[in-house]
Amino acid sequence: MGRKTKVKNREGLGGKTTENRGWGSKIAMVYIAGIDIGSAFSKAVVMAKNEIISYHVMPSGGDYKLAAEQVAGEALAKAKLSLKDLAYTVATGYGAANVSFSNQAVTDISCQGRGIFYLFPSARTVIDIGGQFTKVFKVDERGRAIAFLQSEKCAAGSGRFLQIIARVLQIDLEDIGDLSMKSQNRVDFNTGCAVFAESEAISRIAEGAAKEDILAGLHRTLAAKIQTMVERIGIEPDCAVVGGGAKDIGLVKSIEERLGCSLLLPEEPQIVAALGAALIAGEKVSH
Amino acid sequence: MTEEKKPEERKKRRTATEAASRIGPMVKATIGGTVQAREEGKPIAYSFICCCYDEIIRAMDIVPVWTENYAGVCGAKRDAQRFLERAEAENFSRSLCTYALCGLGFDAWREELGEMPPESPWGGQARPDMMLGSGQMLCDPRNKWYQASQRYMPDVPVYDVGLPWPPYEDDYDYREVQDYYVKYIVEELKGLVQFLEKHTGRKMDWDRLSELVDLADRTWNLIWETYELRKAVPTPMGTGDAMNTMVPMVFMMGTQEAYDFYKELNDELKHKIANKEGEIPDEKYRLIWGGGLPAWFALTDFNYFNNKGAVFPVETTYRMVEAIYHFDIDLSKITDPLEHVAWRWVKFWTYWYDKAKKRPGSHPDVERLIQYIEDYKIDGIVMHEAFSCRSWHVGLIWQLNQLKKVYRDIPSLILESDIVDISSYNEADTRARIDAFIDTLEAVKSRGR
Repeated sequence: MGRKTKVKNREGLGGKTTENRGWGSKIAMVYIAGIDIGSAFSKAVVMAKNEIISYHVMPSGGDYKLAAEQVAGEALAKAKLSLKDLAYTVATGYGAANVSFSNQAVTDISCQGRGIFYLFPSARTVIDIGGQFTKVFKVDERGRAIAFLQSEKCAAGSGRFLQIIARVLQIDLEDIGDLSMKSQNRVDFNTGCAVFAESEAISRIAEGAAKEDILAGLHRTLAAKIQTMVERIGIEPDCAVVGGGAKDIGLVKSIEERLGCSLLLPEEPQIVAALGAALIAGEKVSH
Repeated sequence: MTEEKKPEERKKRRTATEAASRIGPMVKATIGGTVQAREEGKPIAYSFICCCYDEIIRAMDIVPVWTENYAGVCGAKRDAQRFLERAEAENFSRSLCTYALCGLGFDAWREELGEMPPESPWGGQARPDMMLGSGQMLCDPRNKWYQASQRYMPDVPVYDVGLPWPPYEDDYDYREVQDYYVKYIVEELKGLVQFLEKHTGRKMDWDRLSELVDLADRTWNLIWETYELRKAVPTPMGTGDAMNTMVPMVFMMGTQEAYDFYKELNDELKHKIANKEGEIPDEKYRLIWGGGLPAWFALTDFNYFNNKGAVFPVETTYRMVEAIYHFDIDLSKITDPLEHVAWRWVKFWTYWYDKAKKRPGSHPDVERLIQYIEDYKIDGIVMHEAFSCRSWHVGLIWQLNQLKKVYRDIPSLILESDIVDISSYNEADTRARIDAFIDTLEAVKSRGR
């Protein structure tokens, strides 16, 4: 993979572009939304004229229907809008069926593909590190998913792995990345299983290992799992990483090390599926 | 002891063919028949499918109890967990074959009670007079399961029949060694006949055996011809139905009933094709079930595929026959019935060897996939990794990789769960994967438009 420079999309999340890859140029001030109800986090993106005007992320909790209403409500409030202002809403994610106010549900890989195409048109391989599963998929020159792999049902290789370890180490999830980057003596783990890794982490704490070294080791383990999935599907540059797990810079660095290439990383990787859902909603109203 | 309340049965899978809809009652009657046979004092044998001895036990009027089938029924009725838990309590590992675990748990419970466990699915699994195992490549439960069952039934004898076939290598011709394999299998089958004669007090009727072997040959040909009809567009029958219509193939081979079933299925499929009546009204994607036993508790997933416009005109699982007249030897000239069965066995398992040798990097299993993809106009492959079954599931990912290397990249989906253990299954996740797979199929198809 020739590309070695990590690229962040320009101008925040909107990824402004001179190309017309969206729908906004055809219509004026029509508001649409994408709602992604993931197993761990819910995300909402509100757009108008092919631009993100607001978004919100919050834990899904145990009531997906309520989460959908709340996350949409928060995103709309930021834009000083309400549900009745939306011309079209697309739902996606594990709890998409619970978004009672959506016009349509679309699979998350289609939304991720659409969202990543908007942000990084050159991306052909996408790693989505979600709360419950990690997916690796390939997209074509139009952002359509043409092949995909999903991690096994167990927590190995998913964001859940990091949540478990954050709890064991008594640190905030969002601090994992920066803390792990301070590691000077990475601890190597013998397992990719989240349950066994939890036990192993506790053992290493008892042995006096530093938190940052444990985290660096776990990133290495998680990255190895993701690497096998990428190799199975066959990497094609450019490769992007999205999902909540991509907010962990230590994990992203570990994956880059394992794959031997730089990854395209959105400013806000957690909302790419919701963004794609909103873009699909926009296409609906423009047609 | 586990005595959980029997779970509610799920909604039945929707079948496309009338023939497939008859299978459930047929299996129920067969299982009930074994319990009745036990009461009538008829000899009963625990048996495995695809073990070359169908005609032998039929010729001696021995009633087979297909233990894999009973475990599958427990799984399909979502009533296997209590038997799996019982086996686990008996110190069997949960990572073993769950057919075997279910059967061992059932046997342990039945032998302890001296009667069927409470509310046993379809009346329960009859106690055998003998158990017929099999040494057969990777499937170790075939020779260990019944030995383990002897812990609960030490009075019931076991016979293991060895059934090898020449391994595939691309730098030799298996014909150089096939005679040795046939001789070995014939000796194994002779030993089986002696074992059965000893334990039943009956003598083999060799003329009757020859008649049944001939009937089985004709049934093989008829099945092959019937399944070939599914090449039609739209396909008149999918893999969901085939997971039913395999019953006469693997549990009733060597019976007139099996032959008649496929004759009726053949007629039904021809009628549907003549009327352009597909499995679903609007067939969009044609898929192959490219490997793995099904999750018996989740057969409605096939309906879910159907609802998305996807059909399965072909599968490699349970397609346990080839046309006899395609073999490179004339089986009709082999009059000794045991030798005839042995040759049929070896020729079945080596059927794709020559084709594979012609394509560097290929393999018989891969070659079979390629042939079906071409013949049945396939858009994508679905496989199922059942965690507890190594013999059928090892190498699936490798096959996909080789297919990509020697043939072409074709959309694929690997489902994950088990054959019997429902705790391995997540319906929401499975269906989300199917949805995503359908999206990729659509994207790939639209690229070609």
